[in-house]
Amino acid sequence: MNIEKVNIENYKCFYGKFSIEFNQGINILVGDNEAGKSTILEAINLALTGILGGRYLKNELSQYLFNRKIVSQYILGIKHGDNPTPPQIVIEVFFSGDEYPLFEGNGNSEKVKKCGIVFKIEFDPDYQPDYEALISDADNMTTIPIEFYRISWKSCAREAVTTRSIRILIKSALIDSASNKYQNGSDIYISRIIRNLDGSEKVQLSQAYRKMKESFMEDASIQAINQKIRAESKITEKELSISVDLSTQNSWETTLMTYLDEIPFHQIGKGEQCIIKTNLALGHRKSQEANLILMEEPENHLSHTKLNELIKSISEGCVDKQVIISTHSSFVANKLGLENLLLLNNQKVSRLSDLSQDTFTFFRKLPGYQTLRLLLCRKAVLVEGDSDELIFQKAYMEKHCGHLPIEDGVDVISVKLTFKRFLEIAVKISQPVAVITDNDGDFDNKITKKYEDYTNIDFISIFADNRNELNTLEPQFVNANSSYLKDFCRVLGIDSSIYDTAEKIKDYMISNKTTWALKVFESNQVVQFPEYIKKAVAWCDEK
Amino acid sequence: MKNNKLMVAAAGSGKTTYLVNKACEINGESVLITTYTEVNETEIKKKIIKKRGYVPSNITIQTWFSFLLQHGVRPYQSVLDESIHDENIGFYLTNEKSGKKLDNQGNSITFNGNPIYWGENDFKKHYFTKSLNIYSDKLSKFVFKCNEKSKNQVIDRIARIFSYIFVDEVQDLAGYDLELIKLFFKSHSSVLLVGDPRQVTYLTHHSAKFEKYSDGQIKNFVENELGKTIHCDVDETTLNASHRNNQLICNYSAKLYPSLSIPSACTCKECRDNTTDHEGVFIIKPSDAERYLSAHNPIQLRWSISTKCSSNFQAMNFGESKGLSFDRVLIYPTKDMAEWVKDNNSELKSEARAKLYVGVTRARRSAAIIVDYDHDDVLEGIEKYSG
Repeated sequence: MNIEKVNIENYKCFYGKFSIEFNQGINILVGDNEAGKSTILEAINLALTGILGGRYLKNELSQYLFNRKIVSQYILGIKHGDNPTPPQIVIEVFFSGDEYPLFEGNGNSEKVKKCGIVFKIEFDPDYQPDYEALISDADNMTTIPIEFYRISWKSCAREAVTTRSIRILIKSALIDSASNKYQNGSDIYISRIIRNLDGSEKVQLSQAYRKMKESFMEDASIQAINQKIRAESKITEKELSISVDLSTQNSWETTLMTYLDEIPFHQIGKGEQCIIKTNLALGHRKSQEANLILMEEPENHLSHTKLNELIKSISEGCVDKQVIISTHSSFVANKLGLENLLLLNNQKVSRLSDLSQDTFTFFRKLPGYQTLRLLLCRKAVLVEGDSDELIFQKAYMEKHCGHLPIEDGVDVISVKLTFKRFLEIAVKISQPVAVITDNDGDFDNKITKKYEDYTNIDFISIFADNRNELNTLEPQFVNANSSYLKDFCRVLGIDSSIYDTAEKIKDYMISNKTTWALKVFESNQVVQFPEYIKKAVAWCDEK
Repeated sequence: MKNNKLMVAAAGSGKTTYLVNKACEINGESVLITTYTEVNETEIKKKIIKKRGYVPSNITIQTWFSFLLQHGVRPYQSVLDESIHDENIGFYLTNEKSGKKLDNQGNSITFNGNPIYWGENDFKKHYFTKSLNIYSDKLSKFVFKCNEKSKNQVIDRIARIFSYIFVDEVQDLAGYDLELIKLFFKSHSSVLLVGDPRQVTYLTHHSAKFEKYSDGQIKNFVENELGKTIHCDVDETTLNASHRNNQLICNYSAKLYPSLSIPSACTCKECRDNTTDHEGVFIIKPSDAERYLSAHNPIQLRWSISTKCSSNFQAMNFGESKGLSFDRVLIYPTKDMAEWVKDNNSELKSEARAKLYVGVTRARRSAAIIVDYDHDDVLEGIEKYSG
């Protein structure tokens, strides 16, 4: 049993409806910081366990769970007197296969047969009169009336579900970097694993715990203390003594602590905790049952070696488990397989495997790093080679007080002659991309015709100069600096009496490609940049 | 192996016990046991708990209505009408045909003195109360139509949930209930129906659909309506022995349903220990009633609370007494019942017939019926009480 699809509506960063499909096995969520990777994991976990941030959400509903845009639209609607319906949050998790007919039905937003769970935070119609009174005073409304909301947690057969009934369907574990703890510091997740002990094991554990408490009472020193108390305190007629709380049956869960090499779990490093939790989840006693592991940015708190270790256990331990993992690390993503990548961008999901076979194969051969850079940045600038990369970076820094473009989320990627392959991915994920390229002496064919497919795509821009005689970066650069050739020679560190014509300087540059670019990059003197490069820099600043 | 079976049971033959035993024999696969009345549902639960100590997790016990609502209506409720996709459908028990058209004052609109009803085209008014509670008499129709429209998804889902579907008191099902039974026969689930066709005291509803089978004719339904592709065995012998009634009572009650075989009284020692000197079926003059009550202390069985009987002795309605056993009963017949006692060929409507049957078959030892008679009347199978 594995998750086939998840629909999320109005939850946190998801405005309106969002939908994502998953593979069996490993799924890697990548995307911008605000793209909602963690929110997806959180939503899935919420729908499967009712738990958010380590607590049962039931009595802790908050308006902050709602998408801000939808809330402000609603408030605006109220103020305009449009009587908008109070917004609702919906999280739907659908499963593949037909082994669990109890959860099947058309009780879901797609209105067709699905096997799954529908978790809603919705307006409770019982409060209709109170609500009407509230909205009559629209001016004082600042947010949604969360006190009139309830949670509805049902199967697709419209039958109420419980944590227990869902566990028959799927066992899930969320491994996040911000771990949630009980008062005693034991991790909720660890204790949940312990709770999976057999019935008899559990009984033994709580009996042993009880015995321990009782023997505490029988200890000679405790009895002596109690005698002393009894003798000294005459507060009431009744007897006063100290004891251990024996009243609660399951208190071991909150009192007992998990130890690792005799160190309390919460005292060990976060990275270690993360590995332990992962391994515990992977080596689950009932591993033959379907299991789902949700893992949030495993690269946090981990050294490179530890990360390697973790990735090894994920890829080895997950043969028949479904893993949904969010990551920023191109290393993680690459190790776990590019074909498992889900790219999140502007509430849109795309996968590398959707690309044309040709392109996909091409990227599989590349070190994954390159591809991921394109996916993970805010804007990408594609250049042909190293010198173009250096020159563009320099131009960018000049205009941005010495910031490297990557610091602003603009990644400059040197792609040799494979622009179009990268563009194919960019189109798929609506990734803003600029191409800086030479006209190679044939602007009509090499630029206009070659990129005509992209002229109408607003997030893709091609920057090149249409003067065919200035066929590459070097003549372009000489041309841009033609009024200041002596200064330019100083920047390049060459003798301006020998290199005394534009032609000679150009030839020097062509035969010393990277060197001249590096000189320009490192120089603190002013140089002029070709117009098309300046335009590309300006493009980076566009919204 | 999938198989369907109808067990025709006699009163007191232990059919519920049989059903419970069958269910408890099944390991692992899931079983639904459903029945019409809540009383019987509780009875089944009790019997299982008595046998096993708890209800095993693979056994689900639900009334027919609650089963239909949960698994028949809700999973695909919106295929018939999308407007109820997100609604919570409730339940409304009705004893009469539902969905009457009402005027502004809430009175029934009539034509030639007969009430007019909302048709299927007025979907919501036909099936539901104003607050979207589904009428009990339309429940199985809704499920049937829902299944049809969803291309069998409703039944397919149920059949994958329950490997076995057991129906107790199957004689209470009527109309579209029978269509659903037919669909279950056709599905992957094994179906076991148990019932006494003579004890139709409740009907889930009164429907024109399959009306001819509504009267305890479940056997004929199984024999006539399934066609060649659906198969169902009929077993009339296994549960034909009464552990309660003696043979005289068996013989007499059988006269009410001559087309069915005569149940035999179980002869084992446990069932037939220490016979008394007053055994069988008796006819009593009204004037002797009080004396009979004092002599034999029977329980009084009547049509309804308004039937006049002795206040010094315990009394009960026929309907209430269903499923119960007493050593002796004293029956206060209706006018038609009394006519039938005197002449077995006189007309007796099905409800009265069933209730008389239920009344007589409550008794282990003696059933007495209060009817005035002449000494020279010839009465078959019933002894004139002389005291």
